Amino acid sequence: MLATPAVAAIAARSVSKSFGGVKALISASIAISPGSVHALVGENGAGKSTLIKILGGRITPDAGSVTIDGEPAHSGIAASRRHGIGTVFQELTLLPFMTVAENLLLGREPRGRFGLIDRAAMPDVAERELAALGITHIDPRALTADIALAERQIIEIARVILAKPRILLLDEPTSALVEREVAWLFGQIRALRDGGTGIVFTSHRWGEIAAIADRITIFRNGSDVGCFDSIDEDEAITLMTGRQLEALFPVRTPAPAKPPVLTLRGVRAEGIAPLDLALSSGEILGIGGLAGHGHRSLFFGLFGAPGFTQGEIKQDGRAIRIRSPRDAIRAGIALVPEDRKSEGLFLPLKIRDNLTLPILARLSRFGAIRRGAERSLVDDTIAQLAIRTPSPSQPVGVLSGGNQQKVLLGRWLLTKARILLLYDVTRGVDVATKHEIYDLVAKLAREGYAILFYSSDAEELAHLCHRVLVMRRGAFVADLPGADLTAEAIVSAAMRESAHAA
Amino acid sequence: MQPDTTADALPRGNRLGHLIAQNIGLILAGAILLIAIVAFILIYGIEQQRLPGNFELTSTVNSAVPLAFAAVGQCFVVLTKGIDLSVGGVVDLANAMAAVTMGKSLTSGLVWSVVILMVGAACGLVNGLLVALGRLQPIVVTLGTLSIYQGLAIRVLPEPGGAIPPSFTNFLVNPNAPYALIFIVLLALAWSAFRRSRAGVDLYAIGNDEAAARALGVNILRTKIIAYMLDGTLAAAAGLFLAASATAGDATTGNSYTLSSIVAVVLGGVSLFGGRGSAIGAIAGALITTLIVNILFFGHVNPLFQSFYEGVFLLIAVVVGGVIGGTIRRRPK
Amino acid sequence: MNQDATRRAVIAAMAAGAGLSAMPRSAFAAPKKFKIALSNSYIGNEWRIEMVNLFKAALEMEPYKSQVEGSYFNSGNNVSQESQQISGMIAERVDAILVDAASPTGLNGIIQQAHARGILVISFDNVVTTPAAIKVNTDQFKFGETLATWVAKKIGGQGNVIMVTGVAGTTVNEQRNKGAESVWQKHPGIKIVNRYAGDWDSATAEKNTAAILPSLPKIDGIWCQGGTDGVLKAFIAAKRTPLPPTAGEAENGFRKFMLGYMGQKVDGLSIGQPPYLVLVALELARRILNKTYPRRDITIPFPFVTDATVKAGQTVFPQMTDSFFTDFTDSGPNAVVKVGVNAALHGTPGPGTLTVHLPKV
Repeated sequence: MLATPAVAAIAARSVSKSFGGVKALISASIAISPGSVHALVGENGAGKSTLIKILGGRITPDAGSVTIDGEPAHSGIAASRRHGIGTVFQELTLLPFMTVAENLLLGREPRGRFGLIDRAAMPDVAERELAALGITHIDPRALTADIALAERQIIEIARVILAKPRILLLDEPTSALVEREVAWLFGQIRALRDGGTGIVFTSHRWGEIAAIADRITIFRNGSDVGCFDSIDEDEAITLMTGRQLEALFPVRTPAPAKPPVLTLRGVRAEGIAPLDLALSSGEILGIGGLAGHGHRSLFFGLFGAPGFTQGEIKQDGRAIRIRSPRDAIRAGIALVPEDRKSEGLFLPLKIRDNLTLPILARLSRFGAIRRGAERSLVDDTIAQLAIRTPSPSQPVGVLSGGNQQKVLLGRWLLTKARILLLYDVTRGVDVATKHEIYDLVAKLAREGYAILFYSSDAEELAHLCHRVLVMRRGAFVADLPGADLTAEAIVSAAMRESAHAA
Repeated sequence: MQPDTTADALPRGNRLGHLIAQNIGLILAGAILLIAIVAFILIYGIEQQRLPGNFELTSTVNSAVPLAFAAVGQCFVVLTKGIDLSVGGVVDLANAMAAVTMGKSLTSGLVWSVVILMVGAACGLVNGLLVALGRLQPIVVTLGTLSIYQGLAIRVLPEPGGAIPPSFTNFLVNPNAPYALIFIVLLALAWSAFRRSRAGVDLYAIGNDEAAARALGVNILRTKIIAYMLDGTLAAAAGLFLAASATAGDATTGNSYTLSSIVAVVLGGVSLFGGRGSAIGAIAGALITTLIVNILFFGHVNPLFQSFYEGVFLLIAVVVGGVIGGTIRRRPK
Repeated sequence: MNQDATRRAVIAAMAAGAGLSAMPRSAFAAPKKFKIALSNSYIGNEWRIEMVNLFKAALEMEPYKSQVEGSYFNSGNNVSQESQQISGMIAERVDAILVDAASPTGLNGIIQQAHARGILVISFDNVVTTPAAIKVNTDQFKFGETLATWVAKKIGGQGNVIMVTGVAGTTVNEQRNKGAESVWQKHPGIKIVNRYAGDWDSATAEKNTAAILPSLPKIDGIWCQGGTDGVLKAFIAAKRTPLPPTAGEAENGFRKFMLGYMGQKVDGLSIGQPPYLVLVALELARRILNKTYPRRDITIPFPFVTDATVKAGQTVFPQMTDSFFTDFTDSGPNAVVKVGVNAALHGTPGPGTLTVHLPKV
């Protein structure tokens, strides 16, 4: 393998970073040699993006240091530019209503008469530069907003590569790319590496990592847990997922053998391939996979977000159409999203009002709300869901995140929804409340609710669901039965290029 | 290695198509301006049995010049996704200062003009610092400074009066011939140069996506302050033109420029969401706004309904512009 | 002229092309009629509405009906729009322009241009400063002075007085204030405990008074440029009764208080800026165009009433709204002009001839 030179091109030593009390990085270290590709792997939230932002000078660590060629590095975008650092961020930084050429040449536009920018010449310059990188299918005159996502990602990469960086940081640069485009990127990476550039690369696709990485550092829960010149995939996945959490989860009961209440056939949307799916009452059907592989489109599409372009949805064997949240609610479908604040709850209002808002018509007689009926219904719901609050009159905003989730869930239960779409509901929720939510989900399933459950935490899926469908690039690539299911199996199905649909 | 095997078959729109799609707001503003000119000539011709002559052209141009300057100023700030409600206050202040200071000669008029433009830039600097450094919402900041600048203007000129040198009036808004068109042309040229400068590109970058622009190393603070200062300077220039055509000062006549500059910017196809549009469009918007008043006058529209029709024209222009722009952009490629 | 003929042909073609059948309006107007246009800066309060209504009514009455072809425009209190409208009037080649200006100075430029083209410009109410326009108005300095003199006399030159002022930055406001201050200087026993803006608007005056009243000592007299009924209502709401002697504008509501209203009766002097200034301006234009009156400025006396002279049905109208301006017509044997209430309310012409007495030459 490569001999590690005495001085790293860029290195982080014992860096820590917290965001609002959440520890994103805990004393993490890494050193990247010049002329090498160093892969960072780990689950979502393991701290990879935070580390890349620290290396790129975008954020300053709370503790620890960054050195470049052994010298302490200055933080800040301007300083990182002077250091010759180029970063391809996970979230794209292209400017949507400027042309591809303007984006590509930003900050180094060709100058014409009187030192003014020669706007007319820009498309041709951009076209030449792109062609030199082998990109001829993207029109430099087009608005960035008008080109495809993959094309945008390529332009983002091209812009950074054209600056000939000494240190190149790539945070999931391939998330929107197909194989052919990935091959192109790897060609560029190898050329830069051979020219002495130190490169950091992250990806959720093991095949890519195996193909390009000279060294691999594994991250878990904000720390580096191992650095390898080469490592076996299974070993890496075990290191990435880690601790055992069995005690957190309720005892699994077998799924009842019932006809499906919800079936999808050939449903398509942007970012999802034609999908088939059947969900029975009493079943917890897990949807797994890495972020950004179509889960969101599926869940929100089922709840009436615009996007489903074709396919058939049947409820109890009857074809239905879901074109708006109203249609979904009428069909007894409820969605609890991960971000409670922006979707569904009125934080300053009382718990009671939040719970009964959609059913006020039912609770009213001649336009007046029957307070007695409302009170007993609200009290029952609070008890049933174990919402921790001194009184139904508390504003929802003062509750903890997990209890807010329960209020939202309670509201849907009151609307008599029978199909629950739970989208990453435990994200950012503390362990104790997570436990309560797991129990609640299991209880609801026993009571006959049909539950579609997505989580970014593979452990949850493995221990809670009767069955898990793993999505990759918008398609189901594995159908894993619940018994003896492990998180490793889910992550491996999500990442393994070789795993194919069941 | 190529990312796409079909790469040689370029699936790209033609250049003209891109040009139209990317400048649709400007093109529509031009079209509306053309329609307004034709409508004006038509209605004038029918009502007066003759074509508009030198007087009509001159008075229309002279009416439009202050608004054109205020609108281009507003455009700078709107392109950063901001808005400047203090334009009217700066116009007032410039107008009041001009009436008090200029005295009798063209020379003193021109010297004081420079001072007044600098005061306008300072007003813009205050806005810019509060917005960019204080991270306050532009609408709140400029609502506050609007009152402050208006108050200062009344301090300078408590009751309407003062005088503008006639030679200064003849220089800026000559009543005998539409020489003021030259200032509009100069304004457009200055804009084109700005558009091709570092600050110009950065301005658009910020309006497109401020977070991305910051990540790309755009100096947000500097660029925003430049935008607000140019805005203040141009608003002060509007006040000078206004004072020149009135031949005296009034610390309240500029107030209407806050709203009408925003209207002109919108009519000119500049997006209030920032990052899209051109000051050339804002100039067209100013001319359209001015012509609408003329059209309603010569159309003998009941005065009670004039503002109603102005609103209707504005809405139609914006809705039609949005629909046409959207259709062109969504065309299958 | 050949060029002219071509132009007409072009216009005819354009009109036909546009499918317009409307006949040119001015082409067949009676040859001897004077074209007189009224440029009104805004129509946002009852005073301006009454003023425009009086103008419309007069156009339907003799002698104006047969001598004047009138038109009127309003500009939303926007100086550049009013300036543009006056440009339009110049282009229409009117004989005279009557202006109630949005700014005393903002229109000077365009009015000078009108004057240079031989058009008679008469400004009234909110008058302009340029000598190119003839002015018809009351004396605003005297307005403030008269109100102040009355207050000073009523309270015996001793006590606390508040001044409710008008819209800042206007000549009228400044002049009225100066008139008042000139009186206060002569009465050291009078203390002006507060000066604040009422903006000539009853609602604003009421709101500002309510806000400021708790901080004030006992008030012995009120001097108010406008919005007087609002000021008194705020006093009643704050239980500052009985109401102190009040000198104010000609709002119907204020005069109702002089008769007895909302359980209170106030001693007051009510002076109005009369909306019939427009009729004086119209008459002056007609006479000058007929060459029967010299070109000169006219100052007319303002109509006023006190609690002793106020009369229901003539100078106060209990059945009308509080914001109605009661001085649409002059009264008494030396009246400048007499018009009916319907002319002010609806622009309905009265019977017979409308006589406006201009000062003797």
